[in-house]
Amino acid sequence: MITSGILYLSNWFSLANGINYKCLVIGSSLNLAIRWHAVASWTWDAHDETCGICRMAFDGCCPDCKLPGDDCPLIWGVCNHAFHLHCILKWVNSQTSQAHCPMCRREWQFKGSE
Amino acid sequence: MQESTSSFCNLGVLDALTDDSIQEILESYNGFCVTTQTLLGGAGDLSAGTEFVAHVHSLCKHGLESLVRDHFLRVLEEAFERNGASKFWRHFDAYSNFADLKRNDDVDINEDEIQQVLCNALEEISLEKQYQEKCLLILVHALQSYKDQMSGERHNFQAERDYLVSKYQLLVSSVLMATLPRHFPVILHWYFKTRLEELSTIMGEDFDDDASLNKDDMDLDEKGKVFNKVGEMDVDEYYSHSRFSENSRLVKNIGKVVLDLRSLGFTSMAEDAYASAIFLLLKAKVHNLAGDDFRSSVLQSIKSWIQAVPLQFLHALLVYLGNSVSYESTSSGLKSPLAPQSSVCCPGIDTPSEGLIRWKLRLEYFAYETLQDLRIAKLFEIIVDYPESSPAIKDLKLCLEYTGQHSKLVESFISALRYRLLTAGASTNDILHQYVSTIKALRTIDPAGVFLEAVGEPIRDYLRGRKDTIKCIVTMLTDGTSGSSSASGNPGDSLLEELNRDEEIRENDGVDDDFNTDDRQAWINASCWQPDPVEADSLKGSRNRRKVDILGMIVGIIGSKDQLVNEYRTMLAEKLLNKSDYDIDAEIRTVELLKIHFGESSLQKCEIMLNDLIDSKRTNSNIKATIKPPSQTSADTGDNAISMDLISATILSSNFWPPIQDEPLNLPGPVDQLLCDYAKRFSEIKTPRKLQWKKSLGTVKLELQFEDRAMQFTVAPVHASIIMQFQDQMSWTSKDLAAAIGVPVDVLNRRINFWISKGIIAESHGADSDHVYTLMENMVDPGKNGGSNGSPQELLGGDEEEERSVASVEDQLRKEMTVYEKFILGMLTNFGSMALDRIHNTLKMFCISDPAYDKSLQQLQSFLSGLVSEEKLEHRDGMYFLKK
Repeated sequence: MITSGILYLSNWFSLANGINYKCLVIGSSLNLAIRWHAVASWTWDAHDETCGICRMAFDGCCPDCKLPGDDCPLIWGVCNHAFHLHCILKWVNSQTSQAHCPMCRREWQFKGSE
Repeated sequence: MQESTSSFCNLGVLDALTDDSIQEILESYNGFCVTTQTLLGGAGDLSAGTEFVAHVHSLCKHGLESLVRDHFLRVLEEAFERNGASKFWRHFDAYSNFADLKRNDDVDINEDEIQQVLCNALEEISLEKQYQEKCLLILVHALQSYKDQMSGERHNFQAERDYLVSKYQLLVSSVLMATLPRHFPVILHWYFKTRLEELSTIMGEDFDDDASLNKDDMDLDEKGKVFNKVGEMDVDEYYSHSRFSENSRLVKNIGKVVLDLRSLGFTSMAEDAYASAIFLLLKAKVHNLAGDDFRSSVLQSIKSWIQAVPLQFLHALLVYLGNSVSYESTSSGLKSPLAPQSSVCCPGIDTPSEGLIRWKLRLEYFAYETLQDLRIAKLFEIIVDYPESSPAIKDLKLCLEYTGQHSKLVESFISALRYRLLTAGASTNDILHQYVSTIKALRTIDPAGVFLEAVGEPIRDYLRGRKDTIKCIVTMLTDGTSGSSSASGNPGDSLLEELNRDEEIRENDGVDDDFNTDDRQAWINASCWQPDPVEADSLKGSRNRRKVDILGMIVGIIGSKDQLVNEYRTMLAEKLLNKSDYDIDAEIRTVELLKIHFGESSLQKCEIMLNDLIDSKRTNSNIKATIKPPSQTSADTGDNAISMDLISATILSSNFWPPIQDEPLNLPGPVDQLLCDYAKRFSEIKTPRKLQWKKSLGTVKLELQFEDRAMQFTVAPVHASIIMQFQDQMSWTSKDLAAAIGVPVDVLNRRINFWISKGIIAESHGADSDHVYTLMENMVDPGKNGGSNGSPQELLGGDEEEERSVASVEDQLRKEMTVYEKFILGMLTNFGSMALDRIHNTLKMFCISDPAYDKSLQQLQSFLSGLVSEEKLEHRDGMYFLKK
C-alpha cells in the first residue's frame, strides 16, 4: 500500500499549497511519504440533541431501528423541527385528519417536498 | 462295671475296689507314666509302645480312661513346649532385634540365611509334631483296641481320634502363641516379601514378553543359581524343567511354608503375612508403572499384571493348599457388584474358586485405590498439561468409579490450588488457563459437574479479587494467540476455540434450545440420566443449572455478561480505531460467535461499530471517487487526486462507541486542508450530516527518506505532526513546537521521545530551561538502527502504555458514578456512617430516574474505594464515613 501510494512530500506539499512549502527540501535532507488514516465521527446537523417523539438522540436511532445513520434518517418539517423519519411517519399515520408537528402544532409538512 | 468305664465318675465304683485292684491300678499307673515319658521323651523310640498299650488297657479296665487321656495330653504339652516350641523359637533368637531394625531401614541380613533358618525350623518342628502325633495315635489305638475287646464291636474310632487330634492342635497352637516372640511376624512378612519379589521377577518377565518364551539359557542359569541357594532342589532337575514348573516349585516352597505354619496354628498370621506382601508388591508395581508420566493409561497394564503375577501365584498357592480352606465361611454373594467381569478370570485357570475371585476383587480394589491416591496427589500437575494428560484423567475416572472417594479428590485438589495457583505470584492468565483445563478435566471425571462446582469456587472467588480478570478473559475470548503468549498457555485452550466449539454444538443440536420438542431427544436425555453423586450439595441448585459450560463458568467469575461485553466493546473499539485498512473479518466472526452466546441485544453496539467500519469503507471510496478538485489549489487535478488517495477515514457513530479521548492537535496544514475537503464532500453526499474529526486519532504510515536510507513507521497522528514540522525547520524549541502542534509542552516532550528513541531527533538544552530538538541529518548510530532500514515498524504508540484512544472501562465507570457522588456524600452527611449494602440499597431506592442507578455492588465498592483514596471518605470496619 505504501509503496504504491508513495509520493514525496516535498512535491506533494508544493502541489497542495503553492510555493510556501517549497523550501522544505532545501534546508533538510528529510523527505517524507505518508498515508494518513484519520478518524471522524458524524453527526446530524440538526440544532437539537434528541428526537422530540422518541426522546432518543438523533445520532442514535429510533426505537425500531438497529443501525443509526443511513438506515434511520432524520426528516425536517417546514417548521424546521426535525424528527427521526420513522417516528414522524408513525405519528403522521396515526392522525386521522391533517397531522400537526408534535412540537409546535403547526400543520406538518415535509420540508423540501412542497 | 463296664458301663461305668465311660467318662463320668461313678462313686459306686469306689466301693467295689479291692486291695488287689488298687495294687494293680497303682502298678499300671506307674508303668503308664514311665512309658509315656519314654515315648514322649524325645528319644524318638517307639519300642515302649507295646508296654504302653498294656498299661493303658489295665487302667481302662478300672475305668480310668479319662485319667489316661488327660495325663497323656499334659505330658505331651510339656514335651512339645520343651522339644518343639522352645527349640523352634531359638532358631529366630538371632533376629530378635529384627523388628526394630526393620523400622530403621538399615537391615542388612543375609536373605538366604533367614530363609534357610525358617525352613529348617519349620521342618524340625513339623518332624517333632509328626512324631508326637504318632504317639497320640498309639494312645488312640490302645484305647480303641481296649474298647473293641470289651464290646466286641467297632466303636466310633473316628470320633475318638478327631477329638484327641483337635485337642492336640489346640495345644500346639496355644503353646506357640503363648510364647510367640515379637519379631516372628516381621520375619514371616519379610520372608513372603522376598519370595514374592523373586516370583514376580520371574513371572513379570513372562508377562513382559509373552512372545519370547524361549529365553536364552544364560538368563535361566542366573535365575537357577539364585534358586538353588534358597530352595533345596537338584540343579540337574532344575534345568530340565520349564519355566512354569520353576514357578510352581517356588510356589510349592511357599505353599509348604504356609502349610507348615497353618498346621502350627498360624493360619491367620501366615495369611496376613503373604497378603500384606502381595499388597506391598502391588503398590510398588502401581507406583512403578504409573510414575509421573500422565501421557499413557496404566490401568489396563496394572490389571493384566494382577492377572499375570499375584493371581497366578494365589491360584497356585490355593491349589496347593487345597481349596477346602476358610473361604466358604463367608457366604456373601460371589459376584460383588463392583466386579466388572467376575466370570472372567485368569487365563489358564478353568474354574476360579471363590477364594480366588475374592482375592481378585481385593487386589483390584487395592490397585484402584493406590492409583487413585497417586493421581489425586498429582492432580494439579496432571491438569497443568491437560490435553496431553487425558489418559491419566481417564484412569482416575475409572478408579473413582470403583472407590467412590471423590471427596478426597476435591479436598486435596482444592488445597493444591490454594497452595500453588491462587497466589500473588501467578499471573491471571495462568490462573484462567488452569481454570479452563480444570473444567475440561473434571468434566471428564464427573459429567454432572458437582465436584467441579466445589473445586471451581475458590478459583472464582480468587479471580473476582483480581483487577485484570475481565481483561484477560476478554483477551482470551477474542484472540486465540495472545493467550498463549504466557508460558503455560497453549493454543488449544483459548476461549475462542471454545466459542467455535459452542457454535458447532449448537449447529448439531439444531433447534432444541430451551425445551425438547423432540420426543426422541427427550428419551435419550432421560435414558442417560444419572443420579447426583451423594456428595452433591442439594442447596447448590438444580442440576439443570449445573450444566457444564466453560464459557458460562468463565462468565460466572465476572458475575454478569454485561461487564464482559462492556470490556469487550472497549477492546474492540481500541482495535478498530487503530485499523487503517478496514479489514475486520476476524472481528466480525468473533462478534458473531459472541452473539450466539450472549444474545444479540447485548452486542448491538459492537455490531454498530463494525457496521461503521463497513460504511466507512464504502463512504471513503465514494468520496474519493467523486471529490471535486479543491478550488484554491493548483490547477493540476491529476496530482491532486493522488494526494486525496493518501487520505482515508473511519467514520464513527459516536453514540455507540465507548467514550473516545480526543486531544486537540494541530495537523499539518496540507493534511488539515485535505481533511476539510473530505468532510465537505461527506456533507454533500450525506446531507444533512457532517463530520467532526478526531484529530488525535488514527494511524499514519510514514516513510522517512534521508540521503542514505529510508525508514518506515506506523505512528499516531501526533507523532506524524511532530516530524512533519521538521520539514520546515531543522530545529525547534519545545515551546514553539508545542505551540505549532497545539499540544501542551509536557505532552510534546513525552511524545517526541518516540522520535528521539529512533535516533531521528536529538534533544539538547537551550536557554530558559527550554529543550531544543534538532533533526539528525546523518545517522549517528548506524549500528543501532541499521537493522531497521526499510523494514516497516509497527510501533504505534510504542513506549506509551498509558496512551489509549478509548477510555478504559474503569474510567467510564468512574465517569458514570460521579453523578452519584453527590447523593452518597449527602447520605453520609445525614446518617453519619453507612455500610456498603445500605448505600447500595439506598441508591437503588432513590435514584430511579435520570439516570437510574444500575450499578452492581462491586462497581459501587470500587467507586467508593476510589473516593476513599481521594480522601473524601473514610472506610473503617465495613462502614463508610465522611472524611472530617
